[in-house]
Amino acid sequence: MRRSRVLVIATAAATLAACVPIQAVTSSGEHTDDFGTPLGDQRVQPGGELVMGLSSEPDRLDPTTSSSLYTRYVMSSICEKLYDLDSRGQVVPQLAGALPTISPDGLTVTIPVRTGIKFADGAPFDAAAVRTSLNRHLTLKTSQRASEIGPIESIEAPGPDTVVIRYKRPFAPITAALADRAGMIMSPAALAAKGDDFGDAPVCVGPFKFVRRIPQTSIEVTRDPLYHDAAKVHLDRIVYRIMQDANSRAANLRSGDVQVADTISPQDVDALAKDKSLRVLQAGSLGYQGVTINTGNVDGAGKPPKPIDTPLARDPRVREAFVLTVDRETLVNTVFNNWFDAACSPIAPQSPYASTASNACQKFDPARSRQLLAEAGVPIPYPVNLQVTNSQDQLRYAQALQASVAEGGFDLRITPVEYSTLLDVQKRGDFELLQLGWSGRIDPDGNMTRFLTTGAAANYGGFSSKELDDLLAQASRVTDVKQRAELYGRAVEVIQRQNPIVYTYRLRNLTVHTRRVAGVEVYSDGVVRLGKAAFVESQEG
Amino acid sequence: MARYLFHRLWQSALTLVLASIIVFIGVRALPGDPALAMAGEEADPATVAAVRAELGLDESIVVQYLKFMGNAVVGDFGKSIRTGTPVSEMLGATLPVTIQLAIYAMLIALLLGLATGVVAAVFRGRWPEWTANGFSLFALSVPTFWLGILAVLYLSVQLGWFPASGYVSPFEHPLRGVYYLTLPALILGLTHAAVVQRQTRSSMVETLTADFVRTARAKGLGRAAVIFRIGLRNSLIVVTTIVGLQLGGLIAGAVVTERIFSLPGIGKLTLDSVFTRDYPVIQAVVLVITAAYIVINLLVDFLYTVIDPRMRVSGRTS
Amino acid sequence: MTAVDPVAPVALGRVRGRVLRKLWHNPLGVVGGVLLLIVIVAGVFAPWLAPYPPSQVHFTTPFQQPFTVGFALGTDDLGRDVLSRVLHGTRASLEVGVLSVLLAVVVGVPLGLLAGYWRWLDAVVSRLADVMLAFPFLIVAVGLAAINGGGIGNAAIALGIANIPTMIRVVRAETLRLKESDFVLAAHTMDAGAGRILGGHVLPNALSAIIVQATVIMPSAVLGEAILSFLGLGIQPPDPSLGIMLSDAQQYLFRTVWPGVFPGIAIALICLGFNLFGDALRDALDPKTSHREGR
Repeated sequence: MRRSRVLVIATAAATLAACVPIQAVTSSGEHTDDFGTPLGDQRVQPGGELVMGLSSEPDRLDPTTSSSLYTRYVMSSICEKLYDLDSRGQVVPQLAGALPTISPDGLTVTIPVRTGIKFADGAPFDAAAVRTSLNRHLTLKTSQRASEIGPIESIEAPGPDTVVIRYKRPFAPITAALADRAGMIMSPAALAAKGDDFGDAPVCVGPFKFVRRIPQTSIEVTRDPLYHDAAKVHLDRIVYRIMQDANSRAANLRSGDVQVADTISPQDVDALAKDKSLRVLQAGSLGYQGVTINTGNVDGAGKPPKPIDTPLARDPRVREAFVLTVDRETLVNTVFNNWFDAACSPIAPQSPYASTASNACQKFDPARSRQLLAEAGVPIPYPVNLQVTNSQDQLRYAQALQASVAEGGFDLRITPVEYSTLLDVQKRGDFELLQLGWSGRIDPDGNMTRFLTTGAAANYGGFSSKELDDLLAQASRVTDVKQRAELYGRAVEVIQRQNPIVYTYRLRNLTVHTRRVAGVEVYSDGVVRLGKAAFVESQEG
Repeated sequence: MARYLFHRLWQSALTLVLASIIVFIGVRALPGDPALAMAGEEADPATVAAVRAELGLDESIVVQYLKFMGNAVVGDFGKSIRTGTPVSEMLGATLPVTIQLAIYAMLIALLLGLATGVVAAVFRGRWPEWTANGFSLFALSVPTFWLGILAVLYLSVQLGWFPASGYVSPFEHPLRGVYYLTLPALILGLTHAAVVQRQTRSSMVETLTADFVRTARAKGLGRAAVIFRIGLRNSLIVVTTIVGLQLGGLIAGAVVTERIFSLPGIGKLTLDSVFTRDYPVIQAVVLVITAAYIVINLLVDFLYTVIDPRMRVSGRTS
Repeated sequence: MTAVDPVAPVALGRVRGRVLRKLWHNPLGVVGGVLLLIVIVAGVFAPWLAPYPPSQVHFTTPFQQPFTVGFALGTDDLGRDVLSRVLHGTRASLEVGVLSVLLAVVVGVPLGLLAGYWRWLDAVVSRLADVMLAFPFLIVAVGLAAINGGGIGNAAIALGIANIPTMIRVVRAETLRLKESDFVLAAHTMDAGAGRILGGHVLPNALSAIIVQATVIMPSAVLGEAILSFLGLGIQPPDPSLGIMLSDAQQYLFRTVWPGVFPGIAIALICLGFNLFGDALRDALDPKTSHREGR
């Protein structure tokens, strides 16, 4: 087709008015979490090789140094933890015998440990092994876990079935931390042999054990005969194939080349959901996506905040004006095809710590935004610069955001920055607005303290509020869930008054698997659990 | 001849060293801290400094370079910052994929290019020439990666003729391996087929209209013999050079193809390593791609002197 | 990159008429020229031709089909008008093409002249060209994007750099050849300086080779821009670019293909225009083809 013809047709079409009328947007409606169903007593085919399309390459398969979320997907089948989540988001014991008991002063945490279990290399699992792993988290120079497990004074193993952690200060988030990577227990024999290179061939307790990793391509694990619950493991092998492209994950699911794939694009999921041979699992994220406003990060994150003389940094009214012109619902509906949820606070509504206060949301009100800007004496349109990673979803959201805040009188300029550079920019405080998300922690402390307390190492916006500092510190020392929820609710009120971070939306972890397999489960931590999955007896033969 | 060979070898080595220095300095000029990139957004900033010291990033750049080159000579490129895997292992896994893809694409390009080139030259001014020329114009003008995307959508997902993506080693499963690579190789080879077509056509036309060929025809040499024995042979000389130059380009062009078809090749490794600031991997990858290009050109030069003796004298200027 | 046939030295003025006449009589060249004209008009006048600003989001009307009222080529996922974006994207593609040709000419031509003229410089320049040629241009682009944060200039620099070595080689080969020609030798005997010889005699005669090489660089730069933007390394959103439109469209291919079809066609038309016109120009400039019929 020649250009001229396109133009001719185009103009003709425009004049022939009623050619194709405007199509109304159809909303897909509410989405509810579907974590998958346990295998139960379905008839299964023993054995078989399951292939999962993994959306991102895991980093080192080392619980201590790993920082990639996708590493958890692989680890979930080879490395059990002291605690796990159940489908309702509650912490339940896995390698521990029961939930920890915490002394009344909050300084001593006692964890009963199961016995009679063997690591994949045959070494016995006991309290000493737990102590070795936790010590490694604490002392290894490259550890990513040190801050997650808190201010530990000492770790002791008074008997083979008991571990005692003593704290310098009370630290409530520890239970939740032990239900994540910090709770994965490594074989002491393997640690002694491999040292820092443990991640090259990890050995833990798990339904499967590590076989090999082909960089950029795949990670393969095979059934572990020594596993304590081996009767419930059906598959022979799981191959995690790395497929970074969302389209190709969707295409491979349809063609049957992979049986499970994670992080399905909201653009593809409707088409996949229509396919009768596929099943869509979804879990709302515990994290958030948001825009950090630089209110005082001049010398770098973690340094004492200094005043920045722009209306946005200085005047909470201007920040409020910005928040009020973010049309959260419309944005998620348009950009993410209605699959993600609007978010207004760092605490996800499904969290046990959520409350009416933490679920409160500022209404979209661009008229009020303009009014606030006028009150603050800021001329309209007020130009602000947003830095964002150059990934597709982030850019699309930013462009839609640009249109939304324009209604409230902001002239949003978008600067796409490459991911590594953005991390640097964020740390140095070299930004006005910055859009980046947080994968989330089970304990809300992990979603707030490190980002919002004065001088915290990851307080990228340089925010400082005595009131918020006190609330968060208090909440981390209390152990009662209800009391903590109340304190976090008050913290959210402070945040929504000051708006150091504009929370925008919450992802849904969308996982799709073929109905030929059953027992695939995803909980609210987003990790796809394949350990107890199996091929079902096929109807067609 | 020996002198020429030696000269070319020396030139190539010099080029390689220059390239390695540029890469080394260039990589370090990138903003973004590899220690921070390694730790990711979930990083605990307190540990980043420790990571940096552990990676040897606090040493002087000269020391880092000498260490790197010293190890590189014996095939040790260090370990990936991100995954902890030895870089040589990563190269070992990804390089074969790209080489297979490049060779397959080149074969397709040669087959398509020579065939359509000969057709165009033999049927000058008639519809086969228009068709062949139209093909090469099309292939040169259309963004092939876009064709790739459409091909995945229609040929793979809707019609199910080809796998949508993925890689199977042809050494383990010969048939499936070739099958998986066919669509990517076709897409990658298309542009190069067009270039080969044009070269073949113009050199064939030149040969076929040359005086000595007319004489040979007049003396009763058959048309087919002229086309295949004289015309094609002369074209091969030109095509050889093109193939050499293009093969280097193919390796770089594979980046996009590998992304579309999710092939675990060196192109994908390149992009990933740059985005994560995985210094050891970037250096190794660029060095290997550059070396491959230089070696291929060297080989082509030598091949050239074998095919066409005249080049032995003037080869230097090529 | 296509190899370029050597072009015989000819005095420009005398030849211009013949070249134009030959171009006019080459039907493919005319088609290419017309195509180029349309593309250039579309690009230059994009801000006036486009019915909407290219980044204007219409939340209520995403994914409209082509030929919808008000949106001649439909809308994309954010309800942006595809026609407006294609027009502005064409403009961006042309900008990148022109800028990278300029860069290749400004750097490549002097280096080529010098390398062809002085033997001792040849070694240095040729090594430099070798390194540049061996260096994957995508790496350069990635590096530049990381340092400068992407953008039109960035894409143009990366693509310009990628095309410098071939420009050097073409000009160097021309210089080597022209250096031995009668009129340069004559200038030598008249004690003309190097600058005079290169600028006054060699350059004008190498011009046709340079122009032909430029028509080769243009389409490859337009395709290169699409590739870079597709990988997120070229022009950055919200600035419109044909490459970005393609990579955006790839995200929702399962829903609709239209927003990806039109930018693809636009790229193809731009490149086709340059390729056809470039071929015809090369034939017209080459006296050897004077007795042949058109391509």
